[in-house]
Amino acid sequence: MANLNTDSVKQCTFDAIVIGSGISGGWAAKELTGHGLKTLVLERGRDVKHVKDYPTTNMMPWEFEHHGQLPSSVMEANPIVGRCYAFGEDSQHFFVKDKEHPYIQKKPFDWIRGYQVGGKSLLWARQTQRWSDFDFEGPARDGFAVDWPIRYKDIAPWYSYVEKFAGIAGNKDGIPQLPDGEFLPGFPLNDVERYFSDHLKKNYKDRHVISARCAHLSKPNQIHIDQGRTQCQNRDLCQRGCPFGGYFSSNASTIPWAEKSGNMTLRPHSVVQSIIYDENKGKATGVRIVDTNTKESKEYFAKIIFVNASALNTSLVLLNSTSHRFPNGFGNDSGVLGKFVAFHNYSANIGAEYDGFKEWTTDGRSPTSGYIPRFRNLYKQETDFLRGYACTFGGYRYQQHKYEGVGASLKEGLVKGDLSPWYVGAQFMGETIPKATNQVSLDTKLKDDWGVPLLNVSVDYDDNDNKMRKDFIEQLTEMLTSAGFKNIRPSTDHRAPGLDIHEMGGARMGKDPKTSILNEWNQVHACKNVFVTDGACMTSTSCQNPSLTYMAITARAANHAVDELKRGNLG
Amino acid sequence: MNRRTILKNLALVIGGSVLLPSCLHSDGTSYVQLKHVQINEDQQKLMADVAETIIPKTNTPGAKELGLPAFTLKMIDDCFNKKEQEAFVAGLVAFQNKIKKEHGKDFGWLDVKQREAILLAIEKAAQNAKPGAHPDPVTNFFSIIKGQTTFGYTTSQYFMTKEIPYELVPGRYIVHHPVSKLKLKTA
Repeated sequence: MANLNTDSVKQCTFDAIVIGSGISGGWAAKELTGHGLKTLVLERGRDVKHVKDYPTTNMMPWEFEHHGQLPSSVMEANPIVGRCYAFGEDSQHFFVKDKEHPYIQKKPFDWIRGYQVGGKSLLWARQTQRWSDFDFEGPARDGFAVDWPIRYKDIAPWYSYVEKFAGIAGNKDGIPQLPDGEFLPGFPLNDVERYFSDHLKKNYKDRHVISARCAHLSKPNQIHIDQGRTQCQNRDLCQRGCPFGGYFSSNASTIPWAEKSGNMTLRPHSVVQSIIYDENKGKATGVRIVDTNTKESKEYFAKIIFVNASALNTSLVLLNSTSHRFPNGFGNDSGVLGKFVAFHNYSANIGAEYDGFKEWTTDGRSPTSGYIPRFRNLYKQETDFLRGYACTFGGYRYQQHKYEGVGASLKEGLVKGDLSPWYVGAQFMGETIPKATNQVSLDTKLKDDWGVPLLNVSVDYDDNDNKMRKDFIEQLTEMLTSAGFKNIRPSTDHRAPGLDIHEMGGARMGKDPKTSILNEWNQVHACKNVFVTDGACMTSTSCQNPSLTYMAITARAANHAVDELKRGNLG
Repeated sequence: MNRRTILKNLALVIGGSVLLPSCLHSDGTSYVQLKHVQINEDQQKLMADVAETIIPKTNTPGAKELGLPAFTLKMIDDCFNKKEQEAFVAGLVAFQNKIKKEHGKDFGWLDVKQREAILLAIEKAAQNAKPGAHPDPVTNFFSIIKGQTTFGYTTSQYFMTKEIPYELVPGRYIVHHPVSKLKLKTA
């Protein structure tokens, strides 16, 4: 440091640093810059500008070299990301390829990543269901993990805050386990989805099919128009990036908003190696990065640091940030850093057929589907497994073509055809229980191109997951049977954890510094000017899609950070 | 300058979406330089004739006019793994030999009725085969070329604009929509 002149230190000094520009980092950037903080946003990948950097967004199917299919060379080189449902000829440029960023699977784990500005917010499934106290009180009631240090009432206003800005389509359904929010008009259920919804309402207590809430502008408000976004056009090509800004992403929304404030410096190609801890001051003073283009190491300084590198990478950065004070990783006095990782169990689905509503169908495309909120073990423990599951529920018909024969009759068969019966499908989304043995750690030998140790991932299913999956199949089979569905076909698969892309935990929130890393404001217990607000902070996983909760938690923590700075508690 | 070079230059002048370095034949098919699979000019011509039998020119365009033989070759070359490629080529050779043996001449010299009958017989035999049975090389060749030709056809610009129009931007999702309003061409 001795030969570093004051000017260059000044150039490298900001009020705040945000590590990562995905769905939570984008929110941190927006909130901090919105309060006038000069904020450096570090992104390890390249920049992706809204619309301009969506190369495939307006391509017709026949304009793709292989009409949408991926070459075998790509599939063979990418067994991991190749299993992701959204990885295709139109979207492959937004995914990390297997060989680019290796990690070590102590147990099979499909780690799906998007290293670019916007991260996976370009690629997400855009499902935005709120959590409730059935989730925040879950660990305490059911005796696993540790108690969440927050309750629904703490986060409810922040759900509202982010929903209004992001734009969430949904209906007020009045379901306790899935609280209502600030909604734009919901996308409608179709005839067969509506039918099943009515059937459940009549015949079951606490079982519902609702229109899944999603981050789509069904009818934009002024705040969305101010972001330069317009109404969702039902393209269902979201993974390409949306030229209309019809769905929420960092790229379409928070990052350009932060940019407009004039307070953001966005630095792509910046891999964070570690957080700098000042032993004398007793706080973090900045971060060490490597520029992936020049391979040059640099240091940046700020009063507060937000870690939003994505769940497992946040654990990686913290574990790699060692100092005299924190020899086992940043803030890791408790020894739980990298542990209690959990995910969502997606390894089952069920299909069926309905003989009815033959005269009715749908027209156009829906960006969402139906959703069955959790109904198991809500008010009391009623099964031999803990917690519960939600599922998607969607009905569809399609034109059935004849592929037999050759010649003129085949040509005719490919054009003509009657509609199929209604088919329905439900995707299982099970909560998993965080355990110390489901964990990530630094490899002691192998390092990446930037000198950062590779991540060992050791995450697996357990008996609770298998029992819950069995119950999903039994319950859904019964529900569909009683509603008159035919040809009911449950199926399970052997997918590795990770493919759900809902990995959470590693730096969990908790009341007790002895058993958790973060406090109720997402501050590192032992170093209050470092905040972790991405998936790593999650104490338990619920069964709802987590992104909306990351956004709300981030906005809440960022506003708390600003308040604390003003009070002089962090500066 | 030989005929091939002239045609090559002509192709360059005309431009358009030639998928791979290729030479145009007088009938509109092209000889495609493949990266991974060895399929010679005669075999490619045979594949084009099979494709044109599967999707013939009627009062609407056929396989050759729509460039489906070149698309099929590209898919086999790029999207098939080595084992699948080898099985395809083995099937192609077996098909060539079968036609020579049974008809004494190349597929391209047979009339349309004969060509259709040959392909339909292969398809029928496959349908009657035991479920899960490993297809013989000729059946494998036929099912791949038919699969890729129909895939290329139904995802071609022609088909997706003129036959069943594809909407990039529907701008709507309507439920409880009468089937009659879809204007489907029913069977």
